Amino acid sequence: MKAEDCSIPRTPSRALPGKYLTFVLGGESYGIGILQVREIIRPTAITPVPQMPPHIQGVINLRGKIIPVLDLRARFGLAAPAVNDRSCIVVVQVNTTESAGVLTGLLVDSVDEVISLSDKDIEATPEFGCRLDTRHLLGIAKVGPTVRILLDLDRIVGDETRAQV
Amino acid sequence: MNSIPQEAEMPIVLNLASDGELLKEYVIESREHLNNIEQGALLLEEHPEDADTLNSVFRPFHTFKGGAGFLNLVPINHLAHGLESLLDLARLHKLTLNAERIDLILRGRDTLRQFIDQIDAQLTGAAPPAPIMIATGDFGRQIQAAMTNEPEPASSSQQTEPTAAAAPSAASTVKVETSKLDSLVDMVGELVIAQSLVAQDFNPQAAADPRFARNLAQMARVTRELQRVSLSLRMVPIRGVFQKMARVVRDLAARQNKEVQLVTEGEETELDRNLVEELADPLLHMIRNAVDHGIENAAARAAQGKPRAGVIHLRARHQAGGILVELQDDGQGLDKERILAKAVEQGLAAPDVKWSEEEIFHFIFAAGFSTAREVTDLSGRGVGMDVVRRNIERLRGRVEVTSTPGQGTLFKLVLPLTLAIIDGLIVTVGGQRYIIPTLLVRESFRPRREMISTLQGRGELVNLRGRLIPMLRLGEQFGVKPAASSPDEGIIVVVQTGASLKCLLVDGLLHRQEVVIKSVGEMIRQRNACIAGAAILGDGRVGLIIDVNSLGSFPVSFGARAANN
Repeated sequence: MKAEDCSIPRTPSRALPGKYLTFVLGGESYGIGILQVREIIRPTAITPVPQMPPHIQGVINLRGKIIPVLDLRARFGLAAPAVNDRSCIVVVQVNTTESAGVLTGLLVDSVDEVISLSDKDIEATPEFGCRLDTRHLLGIAKVGPTVRILLDLDRIVGDETRAQV
Repeated sequence: MNSIPQEAEMPIVLNLASDGELLKEYVIESREHLNNIEQGALLLEEHPEDADTLNSVFRPFHTFKGGAGFLNLVPINHLAHGLESLLDLARLHKLTLNAERIDLILRGRDTLRQFIDQIDAQLTGAAPPAPIMIATGDFGRQIQAAMTNEPEPASSSQQTEPTAAAAPSAASTVKVETSKLDSLVDMVGELVIAQSLVAQDFNPQAAADPRFARNLAQMARVTRELQRVSLSLRMVPIRGVFQKMARVVRDLAARQNKEVQLVTEGEETELDRNLVEELADPLLHMIRNAVDHGIENAAARAAQGKPRAGVIHLRARHQAGGILVELQDDGQGLDKERILAKAVEQGLAAPDVKWSEEEIFHFIFAAGFSTAREVTDLSGRGVGMDVVRRNIERLRGRVEVTSTPGQGTLFKLVLPLTLAIIDGLIVTVGGQRYIIPTLLVRESFRPRREMISTLQGRGELVNLRGRLIPMLRLGEQFGVKPAASSPDEGIIVVVQTGASLKCLLVDGLLHRQEVVIKSVGEMIRQRNACIAGAAILGDGRVGLIIDVNSLGSFPVSFGARAANN
């Protein structure tokens, strides 16, 4: 994660209790709100698009609709392993500040399970100072011994659709 | 029924929270009614006594009024009620609809449209919620006056009660959201791909059962037909635009004291819904020009031995897989000398060149040419013609103009049937496939080494029959390593970009295919302007459509560099 902007205000947990889909990226467990998940598909032929940053893998044909695929590993600066037979594309539908219902594919290492989180499971994102940009995190969930990082997809996808190049 | 409420003006306050859905429906319905009213009123001008037409105008006002009453839109209700009463008298032969009264009806209809527009704006969030206030009090008085100032027609009008008036003969239709249509077209596209994948796997020699082959062929036929039908769902007749023009001609001619008749042909010609909407604007410009500047006034026409009334023909028909819209007037025509003189003056044309008639007429489409006041006043034409040309080109069409002095001008708009499909040339570079719109491709060839020269070690030029054309290596532009290491192993595709040509170096050509254009979404478009869209190819994978105009005009960005690292 980028460590550049120290002026971002740290908000306490914005995560709501409810059901989350969890998946694995580089050995860590992440969660996204289940209501944003449209479907999970096996990696299909991705058409690379010229002049994209490494974390935009390209576009795929989702039953006649063309949607972009984000490589979350590259997005979070994790080393990129080869796509294996557990890799999935999680198709999510998010509302960005510009438009509602944007379909995007997220390439992840493997999909885990759906968990229910209550208020007491969710904690605020700890302060990391400048070393970690926590803007894209909703909060941290602690279920038993495992820690799950809850992602703010609206912001992650929204930032990608805004002109920044 | 004949009394018009004469209250103080009341603003409309919308209750968006509770009535939102109802209002939305009301707006959609109202727009349809308003169109019917307009068409009917224009017909009434010619046949004021026609019972069917009277009913077709009366009925929409009635429904309009009912809906407004139900939703508590008081001023709309009152205005519609007044006009309805006026029409009712006409229906009962107690009153004839002269030009003034029809004008009143049309103006009333326009005011109702303003109401609807404002309600619509608030519904869609384009305007903040606020009380809507449009003056209608004058109308009340005018309608009242129109209803009373003519005594009952002396002749005993035969009471022909309109018995069960025939409904306007419209083909029965279903309203469907466009998003549903789009997803239907998407799914059918997928079906076609799935079908062709199945067909590819089928080996006729290995199959023992001939019935399977027959069924497969049958399925191929059905899918093709299904695709054709699903694409035709987006098609609508051009009638709507033509009817709008009828109103424009009527109003403009009346304002300028000219006699102009609009004759339309081929209103049933079908084209893509989006195209119909986009076509309205350029046509409006051209019609306005034709009435303003093309058609002379009655006296001038009579002096030239022409009929007093000018005629504007508006025609549409299918031609060679596209659609042809013609706009012809019998006015004074374009003044060649004047246009050329102006073009020279503005530096558009070299003075000592012999220009062909066609080239001269094309100057009227030049940007900035139209804004010159002298031209519009003297020779007419040219007001916003550059806008017309640009609009038509954006729709991937073209404009042609011919003119005979003293006899009139003919504009021809040649347009594709739909914006949704293009004919694409599929090329390969380094294993990737890209689509170039075939319309823009001039030619393609394998270059010889000596045809290519390098400028300052960077830019490359192709010498094509003595003409030097800049060359872009598509692989380099897109950060893809091409299979062909030198240009003489690849293929050059010459494309038209605006007025100039570009050469694109690719590895090879695959085939031509009609593809359905789809958006690639904001995420991609913001980062790469050279991608005009995407399409799904025969094997179900995505191919990117190249915007050849943007190609080469942006520096090769970090994506390409990253790929090289």
